[in-house]
Amino acid sequence: MKDTTKTGAGARQAGSADLLGTNSEIGRKLKQYYDELVSDDVPDRFAQLLAQLEQVEPGRKKD
Amino acid sequence: MSASEGFRTDLLGAIPSLRAFAVSLTQNADRADDLVQETLVKAWDKQESFQLGTNLKAWLFTILRNEFYSQMRKRGREVQDSDGIMTARLAIHPSQHGQLDLKDFRAALEQLPEDQREAIILIGASGFSYEEAAEICGCAVGTIKSRVSRARTRLQEILQISGDDDFGPDAISSQVTGSSAL
Repeated sequence: MKDTTKTGAGARQAGSADLLGTNSEIGRKLKQYYDELVSDDVPDRFAQLLAQLEQVEPGRKKD
Repeated sequence: MSASEGFRTDLLGAIPSLRAFAVSLTQNADRADDLVQETLVKAWDKQESFQLGTNLKAWLFTILRNEFYSQMRKRGREVQDSDGIMTARLAIHPSQHGQLDLKDFRAALEQLPEDQREAIILIGASGFSYEEAAEICGCAVGTIKSRVSRARTRLQEILQISGDDDFGPDAISSQVTGSSAL
């Protein structure tokens, strides 16, 4: 629902577990802080921008 | 589906993460969205240089981060270097009942030097490995590790939490207990 682009790093999270794992208050708050940002609604302007970019001839620079 | 259409869909899917990272870096929603916009345009222009099958999110984060630092330089702002800086030690007390709320945490995060903040975000929240974070930041894995560790220590200091302890020392009670000695 939130982070749709998989980094493939999920399985390698162990490295940070000691420092920022679920037992760490800082680790939990950090995720809470970030998840809130990620789940924020995306303004339409970005979808519009990408649609515009796609209209431009490939390889042709704007401006 | 054309190649550019597929690329567009992938970019679209990455926007929530990019915005979260941008806000973490800039600490400002408007600047963050400008940064994301700039990143999307740059990524679009350089899409041929993206290697299919490699990590798109890491590639985009790298572009965004480079853009952020180049904007900071253009603004004539010194990029903070945590190694040589003495950040003001401003303790934040839990607002009530020892509850560390998100507002306190955000304020604490804001006090971190950029390099530490981005490191702890990439590792602790964005889900990157140390290797990927090092790639994104263009530095050694060990550097990322030490930044994350310093960021964590610093946040604990600011928020007055110690590893497994609860919230900060009660100033009055420690004075009372301390005063009986000698």
